[in-house]
Amino acid sequence: MEENGKPTTTDPSLMNRMGLDQDEIARRKAWLEFTLEDETRLLSLNEMAQGYATEVIEALYDHFLAFDDTKKFFENASVLNRVKNLQKEYFLRLTKGNYDNKYVEERIKIGVVHASIGLDVKWYLGAYNFYLRAVGERIFKAFKNHPEQALEAYFSLTKLVYLDIGLAIDTYIFQREVTISKQQEAIRELSTPVLQLREELLILPIIGAIDSQRARQLTEQLLHAIRDKRAKVVVVDITGVPTVDSRVANHLVQTVDATRLMGAVLIITGLSAEVAQTLVTIGVDLSKIMTVGDLQGGIEAADKILGIHLEKNSDQATSSN
Amino acid sequence: MKVPILKQGNILIATIQSALTDQDLNNLQNELSHQVSHYRSQGVVIDITELDVMDSFSTRTLRNIANILKLRGANTVIVGMQPDVAYAMVELGLTLPDIKTARDLEEGLILLQS
Repeated sequence: MEENGKPTTTDPSLMNRMGLDQDEIARRKAWLEFTLEDETRLLSLNEMAQGYATEVIEALYDHFLAFDDTKKFFENASVLNRVKNLQKEYFLRLTKGNYDNKYVEERIKIGVVHASIGLDVKWYLGAYNFYLRAVGERIFKAFKNHPEQALEAYFSLTKLVYLDIGLAIDTYIFQREVTISKQQEAIRELSTPVLQLREELLILPIIGAIDSQRARQLTEQLLHAIRDKRAKVVVVDITGVPTVDSRVANHLVQTVDATRLMGAVLIITGLSAEVAQTLVTIGVDLSKIMTVGDLQGGIEAADKILGIHLEKNSDQATSSN
Repeated sequence: MKVPILKQGNILIATIQSALTDQDLNNLQNELSHQVSHYRSQGVVIDITELDVMDSFSTRTLRNIANILKLRGANTVIVGMQPDVAYAMVELGLTLPDIKTARDLEEGLILLQS
């Protein structure tokens, strides 16, 4: 999941970033109606759990190994043994009480590890279901003469397991969200380069769809570049923008105005036939905008404003031919 | 805070150096209106490089100043507007369409002399 291949288990702020503070944990417990009584009941199961832990875990891993999709996670014996031991610890932790912050942190770590090895939620949920069935069966057997107690104990266990599941799934989702927002950031940065073509002339080629947020960011970046690079003319090329709606058009007008307020000139190039037709049809007032057909024409227009006159070197032209 | 007004040839230069109160802006308008004929100036440069906020009142005053000076026979150029100010202004619809702008003092002077 992470670049260095190490899962983010050592990240202490993960809980904070996920918004899992004391209050939130209490809210989750309250929602599940997980009370102190449940804690006591689970604690009382501990001794019994010690008895059947190994058995249940062996059965669970047999189940994992019976499916190709899950089998691939446990290809060598040492890995299998290690995870079995961890799983046993985890399993027994369910009946050890103290379901506090520390408990939640442990659960989140497990979620992170599973997300990082790419174990999908469906396998994860299936394993919980397997646990509940295996343990439920044993609880009912043990309380054969007190079915009410058995049911209560089973419900307590279910509540806790659902707390765990909630945490694990949230961790999965959170990890994905982190990845998505990182990628969005990367895309945004990649797609908005402000290039200096020559002294006082900047070029901003826009590629891809523009939404309000991106439009805003583009404008801010452009205005700052105008100041930092002392630009007099900016050519914005929108050949790569598939559609322009009234909002984007309005934004272009705003950008032109802001550029002018700073004492620079903005030229827009690359309005495609479709875009031009749309703009005229929806009635956007573009009279204030200086538009030129293509980027080349835009740069020529900019050179004219800057008083630059380019000439082909005739000697070179002949010698290279 | 009072805005210093300097005379440079036939041009007046007003450099705003900090945030201005409405009273300061009124004073600036008053002073420029008088001084422009006193010195028989052809143009006025208002440098707002140091301003990081422009509200609707200051925008309106700047526009008024430009229009008043026009009546008094001088052209006005506003120079040095910061990117964030420019963006905030257009978002508010304050685009100063009838006022000339330039990047900095130097360019403003060139613009007025051409």
